[in-house]
Amino acid sequence: MKRMNRRQFIEATAQGMAVLTLPPLLSHCVKDSGNSQATLTNLGDGFAGFGVDRALLARVLDHGLKRGGEFCEIYLQHKISHWVGLEDGQVNRASTQVDLGAGIRVLKGDATGFAYSEDLSETALLAAAATAASMADGTRTVTPRELKAATFKSQYPVLTSWSEVGVDKKIPVLEQVDACARKRDPRIIKVTSYVNDESCRILIANSEGLLVEDEQPMVVLTANCVAEQNGKTETGGHSEAARDGLGFLSPLRAEAVAQRASDHTVLLFDAVASPVGELPVVLAPGISGILLHEAMGHGFEADFNRKGISIFADRLGQRVAPAGVTIVDDGTGAIRGSINIDDEGTPGQRTVLVEDGFLRSYLHDRISAKHYGVPSTGSGRRESFRFPPVPRMRNTTMQNGDKHPDEILASVKRGLYAEVFSNGQVQIGAGDFTFYLKHGRLIENGKLGPYVKDANLIGSGPKVLAAVQMVGNDMKMESGAGYCGKDGQRVPVGFGLPTLKVGAMSVGGRRA
Amino acid sequence: MNRELLETAARLVEGAVKRGAQGARASAYRSHESTVEWRDGKLDRLQDSTQKGATVTLFVDGRYSSNTTCDLRPEALARFLDEGVAMTRVLAVDPHRHLPDPKHYAARFDGDLRLYDTTGHAELTPDVRRSTTQQLEEAVRTAPGAEALISVTTACSNSETESVVVASNGLQVGRQVGDFSISAEASVRDQGDRKPEGSSYGATTERSALPSIAWVGADALARGLALRGSAPQKSGQYACVVENRVASRLLRDILQPLNGQAIQQQRSYLAGKLGERLFSQKLTIIDEPLLQAGLASRPYDGEGMTRQRLPLIDKGVVRAFLLDTYYASKLNLAPTTGSTTNLVFERGTQDLAGLLETMGTGILITGFSGGNSNSATGDFSLGIRGQWIERGKPVRAVSEMNLAGNHLQFWKELAEVGNDPFSYASIQAPSLRFGAVQFSGL
Repeated sequence: MKRMNRRQFIEATAQGMAVLTLPPLLSHCVKDSGNSQATLTNLGDGFAGFGVDRALLARVLDHGLKRGGEFCEIYLQHKISHWVGLEDGQVNRASTQVDLGAGIRVLKGDATGFAYSEDLSETALLAAAATAASMADGTRTVTPRELKAATFKSQYPVLTSWSEVGVDKKIPVLEQVDACARKRDPRIIKVTSYVNDESCRILIANSEGLLVEDEQPMVVLTANCVAEQNGKTETGGHSEAARDGLGFLSPLRAEAVAQRASDHTVLLFDAVASPVGELPVVLAPGISGILLHEAMGHGFEADFNRKGISIFADRLGQRVAPAGVTIVDDGTGAIRGSINIDDEGTPGQRTVLVEDGFLRSYLHDRISAKHYGVPSTGSGRRESFRFPPVPRMRNTTMQNGDKHPDEILASVKRGLYAEVFSNGQVQIGAGDFTFYLKHGRLIENGKLGPYVKDANLIGSGPKVLAAVQMVGNDMKMESGAGYCGKDGQRVPVGFGLPTLKVGAMSVGGRRA
Repeated sequence: MNRELLETAARLVEGAVKRGAQGARASAYRSHESTVEWRDGKLDRLQDSTQKGATVTLFVDGRYSSNTTCDLRPEALARFLDEGVAMTRVLAVDPHRHLPDPKHYAARFDGDLRLYDTTGHAELTPDVRRSTTQQLEEAVRTAPGAEALISVTTACSNSETESVVVASNGLQVGRQVGDFSISAEASVRDQGDRKPEGSSYGATTERSALPSIAWVGADALARGLALRGSAPQKSGQYACVVENRVASRLLRDILQPLNGQAIQQQRSYLAGKLGERLFSQKLTIIDEPLLQAGLASRPYDGEGMTRQRLPLIDKGVVRAFLLDTYYASKLNLAPTTGSTTNLVFERGTQDLAGLLETMGTGILITGFSGGNSNSATGDFSLGIRGQWIERGKPVRAVSEMNLAGNHLQFWKELAEVGNDPFSYASIQAPSLRFGAVQFSGL
């Protein structure tokens, strides 16, 4: 990476918008399968182009500890987001957002002082540090350690930043999505599609001497369709996302996104209203993993447990699911929720939450890890420099079981096969969760019946976990543009599930 | 009007035009927010931040883009504009993209809407915020039933925002707004591992209008306690009352399909229904942008168009779509506005207790959980929690249930509107009583 001095950086940060592809530009951003290393050797004086130096960071960290705080951290972020959209057959809209700033956090025990600044001058950073420091009201007890750069192997090395990819490279992709969706079915009358990409660079320094940076690309391709048949309209869509470069926007992917969006729309004309009441539910592999996210995942986030308000508080080591159920939250890889490091600088990692039915770990950030006396699981995440980190999921999955999906279906006389979901929610303390079924199928005598649509599924997390009856051998990751909201912050997440049979869930259909 | 922000916005517009834009609109803002959160006897989080930013909307050779940055230094903005204009030129021509006709900037209200409480913000010092959260916790812990408490979290915050909008065809407006909020959450013991939470809050533009600390604390605890022992009811068709503070969740599924993009893209079950009676005659919803001290009051919208009272639903009849300049042009209709402000309702005569008394037996919905609505068809399904009501009184808590239907039928079942608008939100919904509607549970 080219080093920049502070002045060059300040100038460069305004360059948020990629106008046209600049030669020489690689045709795509290759994910290196070898030993690419996001080394931090450039941190010696340029600090990855953030225009701050080691001495300034040290002064800010020192300032944050003057009132008696036990820990101080500075999180610098520079994010450039682009959005390009198609409507009514034309790529005729675009937007860009440039974010640059620093969040400064001071901890004392479980308490947090937090402030941020969009001005990276020394004066502004010291002022923010003083504000964060004011959560404590004593005198200095800790002196910051010397900053030492940490390195790691990147799971998603960036050869060409999205900030260097022009709109002209995205326009043909959107035009292809439009054409493919309409060609797929003549009932499609409207297509909207967009590409959303991000180039995000973070740098974290803390009073324990940690100094680490990461570059986090993200790309989303979305298609939404409206179809008309006999005077009735239906809508559907599909999106795919990854921490990847321009290579993600391949013709093959554009076609697949368009076809699934089209298929998800027109099948609704054949759908009947969902049934009402408690039914056996078979969750299709993939996006049904939203069940894990809502029903269990949030309950395993350690801040809720540290405060004693999660339904899973004090359940560590206990059986929370039948034998054969193993649930993992995994920050590795280059998919939607992957992170080389979390937003406290802890390496992204694989965390086994439930092992063969037993609760093995919560998801920890720095505060909860200290509270429980365990290492952080690399789960401290934040939406941006404007927020302090809290424990969050990354990619949450259930591991394969031993049942063939056909065997699972055959075991249900009358039930619901839940295929595609749009959103979910959970009450952390009560454990009640919901997820909204966009479409699925009825199961009649062990076979898939007519399509059903638009029903909220609701249940109690621990009860549903205990009611898991069969786990399939066909685990599939969801590659869509999933976001998780908590504490007013949104972070990208992924989930996956094998075919799964739950004994009973309440289905909120309209067919009495 | 903040001079610095005005200069920033004006510089953006001037720069855009100089670079070849035939039209440009720029908004700039600066805000300051402070929050203290207190949990179980000690400070949990102190947050204090200043935010700034600018957005420039470009109309270049019949093309359009919108660009946002938080780097407002003049040299950075110049480069930001260079690239924005160049990017816009790559896009397809769209004949419907243009600034509003200047006639829509006229006759703007320029009186005081009481949106910035100078004294209130000055008096809410860091020490006062902290002591307020402590008092809120005390209010929860001294309320009836406090022995069931597991944890209490309280918060006190305020924010102040100055903003301006400038457009190349003669618009130059600015305003200063602020708000205050206090809240409490009470987590309580229940059967097994369940730990239901109750919460309460108040949010206002004037500090003196906040609810009392004692009321917020007691209300939060009472709501947590009311959820203890909850269980699903048998599936069936039941009458229901939706409490005022959560009724906005239902109303959202009427408002979103009024949006111009949903109408033009044929994603709305209300497309083509202007002037038709689709809902109960009890339902009248008015967008009221000039409400004194309203949380969403504003004399102009995001495009700078002058805002006036706009009836959306009048005795069940759809009276207006939400049309910004772009979608109005695409639909060949006159623009109204692209977004709502304060929503007020024609009130009934009874409060919540009266509505429950009239209902007799049914479900009182005090919270929604997840769910969604199909905007093209109006089909919806929402998770709910609340109370099973007999003889007008709560007899047990219900949860793990769904309310489902189609909005075009569901709102015909609206039997009565309460006289109790919820004043701590921009949607000032009253409690709503419905006839028999579909619930799923056991």
